[in-house]
Amino acid sequence: MASLPDISLPSSPIFEIGALTVTNSMVAAFASMLIIIVFAFWVRRGATLFPTRSQMIAEMLMEFMLEKMQVIFGSEKEARRFFPLIFTIFIFLMFANQFTLIPFVQSVVIEGKPLFRTATSDYSLPIALGLLLVILSHLVALTRSPLRHISNFIKLDVFFKIRSFKDIPQALMDFFLGLLDIIGELAKLVSISTRLFGNMFAGEVVVGIVAGLMFATQFVVPIPFIALSILSGFVQAFVFALLGTIYIASAVQGVESSPKT
Amino acid sequence: MDVEAARLIAAGFCMAIGAIGSGLGEGFIGGKALEAMARNPQMSDKLFTNMIVAIALAESTAIYSLVVSLIILFVI
Repeated sequence: MASLPDISLPSSPIFEIGALTVTNSMVAAFASMLIIIVFAFWVRRGATLFPTRSQMIAEMLMEFMLEKMQVIFGSEKEARRFFPLIFTIFIFLMFANQFTLIPFVQSVVIEGKPLFRTATSDYSLPIALGLLLVILSHLVALTRSPLRHISNFIKLDVFFKIRSFKDIPQALMDFFLGLLDIIGELAKLVSISTRLFGNMFAGEVVVGIVAGLMFATQFVVPIPFIALSILSGFVQAFVFALLGTIYIASAVQGVESSPKT
Repeated sequence: MDVEAARLIAAGFCMAIGAIGSGLGEGFIGGKALEAMARNPQMSDKLFTNMIVAIALAESTAIYSLVVSLIILFVI
């Protein structure tokens, strides 16, 4: 008799280093980082003018992402400046989302807890990456032109444009819309991180429940659900990187093209 | 009603109602994108990535309701 897996929202701690508790999703995140580093060195060492197979894959991915970033930023220089960060996040999420697909990885059990768990199905990793991207977008805009970036949110300049009494309601409206944008920035953070977390966690839960329904459903039936979660893993990695690019680009363009007062 | 039963019903309803809107939206986006691809097949690469991004955006409301129902189930 198969049993439903116990679904836990927080990842379970494995061991402790000093005050730091290492959970199983952290172990998986570091393992996928290691795989990426090894892969990168391997590709770099074998890089030739006539590309080998692994080099082809890496170059294809890089060109794909760079092309998308150029479209969003509108210039190659800007795109190349932020390319290392965005591409790192992209490949890291791509590996981390698919990490538990490696055979026998999920059967490694220490003290009744699995040693590896999809890193992004714990909320700490998505919110850390989301915080990084959102704060970076503001920092970039602030270093370019601090006053203009702040005036995108706290719009004091609308009050100087008042010429008659008719303009006052419009000015107040603009001012409060600017304040609302501050809440919009917080919503960006929540939406970008919960999207990644929700998709990956839901994929895991669906596969676990389908596999645990009956004895007969353990073997062939989960395959379409696993395929779906593989697809959503790639798509979410791409969307996360792309949304990060859009946030940075919109902050930069909001500073550079805002009308002078 | 039992508190436990109320929690389960609430989580189910949260997910069921929350999924309606995003399901409609995703279907609409996919249908329109396919229509555009059929009219102009040369644009289909560009449209496809834009469609994926738009679908992921439309999905976010369903993800919010998923998170809320998970909170109802596991945290409260």
